Formats: sequence, C-alpha cells, structure tokens
Amino acid sequence: MTDPGAAPEPTHAPLHTVSRGRARWHRGLVRPVLQRRADVVPAAQAVAFVIGIVVALIAGALLLLAAGNDPAQVYGRMVDSSLGGINSISRTLLRATPLALAGLAVAVAGSMGLWNIGAEGQMMAGASVAAGFAMSAGDLPGPLLIVMMLIAGAVGGVILMVGPALARAYLGVSEIITTLMLVEVSIRVVEWLETGPWKDPESQGFALIEPLPDQASLPGLFGRAHIGALFAVALLVAFWLAVSRTAWGYELRMAGSSPATARYAGISLQRKVLAALLLSGGLAGLAGAIELTGTATRLDPGLSNGYGFAGIIVAALALMRPSGVAAVAFVFGAVQVGGQSIQTLGVTSSIATILQAMILIGALVAAVLLNYRVRWVRPVGHPAEESAPPAGPAPGGAPPSGSSSNPEASGV
Amino acid sequence: MSEAAVVGLLVATVQFATLVYLAGLGELIAERSGVLNLGVEGMMAMGAVSGFMMALATDRPWIGFAFAALVGMAVAGIHALVSVVMGAGQVVSGLAITIGGLGFAAFIGQDAVRERADAVFTDLGIAGLADIRWVGPILFNQPPVVYLAGLLGIAAWFVLNRTRLGLALRAVGESASTTDSVGHSVTLLRSGAVLIGGAFAGAAGAFLSLYMAAGWTEGLIAGRGWIAVALVIFGAWRPGRLAAGSLLFGFTLALQPRVQTFDLSIFGLEVNTISPALLGILPFLLTVVVLIAISFRARHRPSPAPAALTLPYRREER
Repeated sequence: MTDPGAAPEPTHAPLHTVSRGRARWHRGLVRPVLQRRADVVPAAQAVAFVIGIVVALIAGALLLLAAGNDPAQVYGRMVDSSLGGINSISRTLLRATPLALAGLAVAVAGSMGLWNIGAEGQMMAGASVAAGFAMSAGDLPGPLLIVMMLIAGAVGGVILMVGPALARAYLGVSEIITTLMLVEVSIRVVEWLETGPWKDPESQGFALIEPLPDQASLPGLFGRAHIGALFAVALLVAFWLAVSRTAWGYELRMAGSSPATARYAGISLQRKVLAALLLSGGLAGLAGAIELTGTATRLDPGLSNGYGFAGIIVAALALMRPSGVAAVAFVFGAVQVGGQSIQTLGVTSSIATILQAMILIGALVAAVLLNYRVRWVRPVGHPAEESAPPAGPAPGGAPPSGSSSNPEASGV
Repeated sequence: MSEAAVVGLLVATVQFATLVYLAGLGELIAERSGVLNLGVEGMMAMGAVSGFMMALATDRPWIGFAFAALVGMAVAGIHALVSVVMGAGQVVSGLAITIGGLGFAAFIGQDAVRERADAVFTDLGIAGLADIRWVGPILFNQPPVVYLAGLLGIAAWFVLNRTRLGLALRAVGESASTTDSVGHSVTLLRSGAVLIGGAFAGAAGAFLSLYMAAGWTEGLIAGRGWIAVALVIFGAWRPGRLAAGSLLFGFTLALQPRVQTFDLSIFGLEVNTISPALLGILPFLLTVVVLIAISFRARHRPSPAPAALTLPYRREER
C-alpha cells in the first residue's frame, strides 16, 4: 500500500505523439481535462459544502417524490425537529457532539496527511474500557468516576491505535487498512463481551452488558444536550491553537505536506506519525466514552452508531480544519435528527443517510469544479488532425463542434 | 459430530467463499488499476436489494442477478466519476458509496423487506456426481453462481496476466504517468476497472439476497463487504491466492452460526465454547498480520501492493 504523503511518482516527458501499441481503442475521443484555476475562488470549500447541501436536498426531494411523499412536508418536519426551537437544537447538539469529536480525531491525523478510517472502532474501544472501569470502580463519587471514565476512554482509543501507528511509523504499513480492519474487530469484541464475560446476570435470556452505575452520566447542558458538547468545542479550539499556533503543529503540517523538507529540517517523521495517529485514536476513544456517559445507560455494540465513519466525512468536508469540523458536524447532526423525526410521517430515516452521502459527493464534485477548469482536449494524432501541423503538447478545442484551429480551449 | 454437520459446514463454506470471492475479485481488479474502493459494502447492498426486487418482478433469478451487476456498476460509476475522472480522494469517495449505498438500499427496499422470493437460485445437482458421498453435495450440488464465480476467477486471472489489456491495467496501478506516456488512457482503464469491480460487488450482493438469505433486510450485508476488502490484501492482490483466502474466510463465516452446536474437542478445547463473535474477528486480524508480513518481506523483494494505489492522477499536475 502506498501512503498519501509519499514522494510523487517519477515524472516523464509527455509522449502524446506515440502511436504504437494497442492503445488505439480510445484514440480520437475528445476528452475533458481538469486544469487548476489560477484565480482562486474565495472560501471555495464553504461554497462547495453549500452546493453539496443543495444538490443533496434536490436529489432527496426527487427520491421522496418518487416514493410518493411530499418533500416540502418532509423537509419542513426535518428542519422543525432539528432547528426549530431550543429543544430541537439540543437534540441536534446531542448528535453533533460525537460527530464533531470523531471528526476532530480524523482531522488530527488528516492534518498530517494520514487517514484514520477506524474512528468507529476506537470509539467502541474507548467506550469499552470506560465501561470496564465503571464496572470495577462503580462506587466512586460521580464526578471522579466520570473523569476517570473519560481518561479510560482515551486510553482505550490509544490502545487500539498502537498497532496501526507503530506499523505505519516503522514499517510503512498503510494506516487506512489497519485502522479499518480494527473497526470490525472492536465491534465484535463488544458483541463477545455482551454474550459472555460482561453479561448482565439480571438480563436473563437477553445479551446485555451490565448497566452503568447511576452516577456515571454526564451532566446535562440544556434540553437533551449534555456537557460533552462543551468538551467538543474546547477540544476543537485547542486543536486549532495546537496546529496553527505552535511549532509542534507547524512541524506536523510540514511533515504531512513535504516529508523530505521535514526530514531535512531535522524533524523525526516517525515520531510525528506516532504522535498524530495516537492522538487521533485517543480523541476517538474519548468520543466513545463521552457518548457512553452522555447518552447510554450501558455499553452495547451499536453505541458508535456510525459516528466514526461519518466523522471521516465531516473531517474531509471540513478540509481537516476545526472551524469546519464544528460547522459540518452541526449540519450532519441536524440531518440525523431530522431523519429520526420523519419516521412519524411514515418516511424511513434512511433518507438522512442518503442526504449525508449526497452532501459529500456533491461537495467533492463542486470543490473540483471550483478549483479546476474543465477543458475539452482532442489528442494529437486524431484522424481529423493528422494532416494539420502539430499544435503543442495538449491542443484542445471547444467541444467537438468547436473550431479546431483554436489551440486554447474554452473553460466551462 | 455427525457427518451431516460436517458436510453442511463445508457446503456453507463454499457458498460463503463464493460470496466474498465475487466481491473480492471485483475489488482486486479495481485495486490493481490503482483505485481503492471502500464502497464494496454499499455496492453489495444496492445489488442485493435491486437484484431481489427485479427477481420478484420477473420471476427469474438470472435477470435479477444480471440487473444487480448493472446496478453495482452504476453505483461504482459514481466512485469512478468522483475519484478517477475528478481526481478527488478515493478513501472519502468510497466511504460515501458505502454510507449512501446502505441508506439508498434501505430506502428502496422498504417494501421488499420480509418478502419471500419464489424466484431464487436452486442447487444445480450435476447428474451422477452430486450423489457421491462427501464430495457430491460440497462440490457438485451448489447453485450455479458458485461455478460462475470460479469461471470469472479464471477469466480475471487470464485477462490480468495474459493479455495486453491486463498488462495495461496492472501498469496503470503501478505508475499512471508511465502508462499514460505510452498512450493508454488512465481515466478509461481505471474507470473500467472500477465499473467491473462494481458489477462483481453487485452480483455478490444478489447471490446473498437470491440464494443465501433468499430475501432482503436492512442489515443483510453485515460487514461482508469489508471482508472482501480485507480478502484482497490477504490474497496479496492475486486471483489465485484470493480464492484460497476466500475458502479460509468462508470457513470462518460458515463456522460462526454453527460452532456452538458442535460436540467436538480439539486438544482439550471444547469447540462449542468458542464465541462466534470472536471467530468473526479472525479474517480481519489475519489481514492485519498479512499486511505486516508483506511489509517485512518488502525489504527484500517488491511489495505485491499496486504502487499507485490511492494516488489520483491528473496529467497536468505531475
């Protein structure tokens, strides 16, 4: 596996005029190429995110129409349940909190060009270690127990990340696959705990883990929200300070964007990889413990609820920036709350899942189109041009009907 | 342990192996061209639900199966558009395919849930051979998709290793710029590989809904797509080793629901005390071990991983 931050591929001079080989099957196709815009669109990613939302809403509306629902009514209910009033906003915050924390975990690794695909698993690991601690020390007073559980959660996330981090730092093993594999491992470990070692003796036939002690629940903020939302904001601010205002953060970003430069400057890449990945795992574990103490009465295999995977999308949409993570997490939290609320209208909550994926796809495409121009290029050697003098390495023209004498393509 | 139990386990092993082999083979083709597609789980869900509904409507499992492959291809087309044509991140795009595919499948399959399909694949029962003790039921009385998967595996091996198209495909997975410079279209090769991968994943999903489960529910895929992703690495990106790996992974999948009914003791270990959940961990842990072993070996000889895997290519930005 190749790492995203590896040295670029060796470059070769363009040999567009080579006509040997069996490559003729695509000859003559006028193809679009993407050319980076010289003029930068201001706040391109924010614009792309908004475009993504619009695209998702339109696609979702078409789906709802096709299924025989009234999109205006469904969307109205979604907005009302997630944003219309203080209670609704508290429900959105309740879901935005784990999304922001998982997004932050992914963004910490991502600011060095590393992918923590396993936040979902580290959340489970963190929640498991926190629950295990609560079971063995259930008679501690509430505040102390909660603090210790949160620490235990971070430790759990770090434990699950130790293997992938060491393998990535010292052996160059792709963290993408190792972290992903451990998601399935940690969820199944919780399933095992549920049926065996941690089974609640009072649950009789049901596979349930012992409930947490009563004092192990995070204090509320307002409505349904708990103070985990404040932790998320504080950690996002701390991350922003650390990455953009400290030498450590500068070195981290440099190690990600230009490993060669970082090495030359005397920065240990291996240590930076270890630090970024372990911190990422710890934050995801903390997210799991916060979710456990904030919303659950006991540990169960569904606790992470896709937040870890959604966190990757949150971080990617935010371009790994903390302010973006907060904004995207809030929007996704609102979409998820809305998805739950429309079930009373007889509409499946899966529409929320579709909307989240569509926002990402729409924003990815929009970001490319905002940062690049599309040019239509006809390869040299095209039968129609064979008699014409060669016109530079990548002559282009407007779409097929356009003038072929104009070597500069028109942007779209 | 009775003979019937052992035969049942091995019959199911072959079927689970077929399931993950089909999906894994598609992922292998995409990855050999340099595109990681983490959307297998979503493409399988889309294939499973659309194939099932089409078979319900037409009463013919093969039409459902073929339709599922087309739907898988269409879903993979989004990944090809975003990550190959547009050059956006493969990891994020693939995850969006998984999340969106699972959601979309749940959405369109609402009415198909708990519907029983009459039009499912039936066991082939090859005349004369299917009655042989042990071997007959395991190898010669399977649904046709099992044999199709075998043929597709041979075809994939042949195309990848014995044709110019396969050479170009493998080359574009090692170095896109080199392949581009000899006149192959990176976009076409990679998009084609991703589309074929999607068709295989969609077909695998349909095998699940049209034979193994004979129905559709929301959690039907249950991580088998991730197993397919793991299998490609476990099989070191080669169709042959993929087949061997799929039998091993298929065995653990087949064993999970059965293990606690087995009255057997191996070296003093009572088999029926093994947790099915822990058994389910094996494919993923083995894959991590193989990945680490590969990187140790890579110090002496080239890694079997395609060198350009996950690297997008834009000619203008080399």
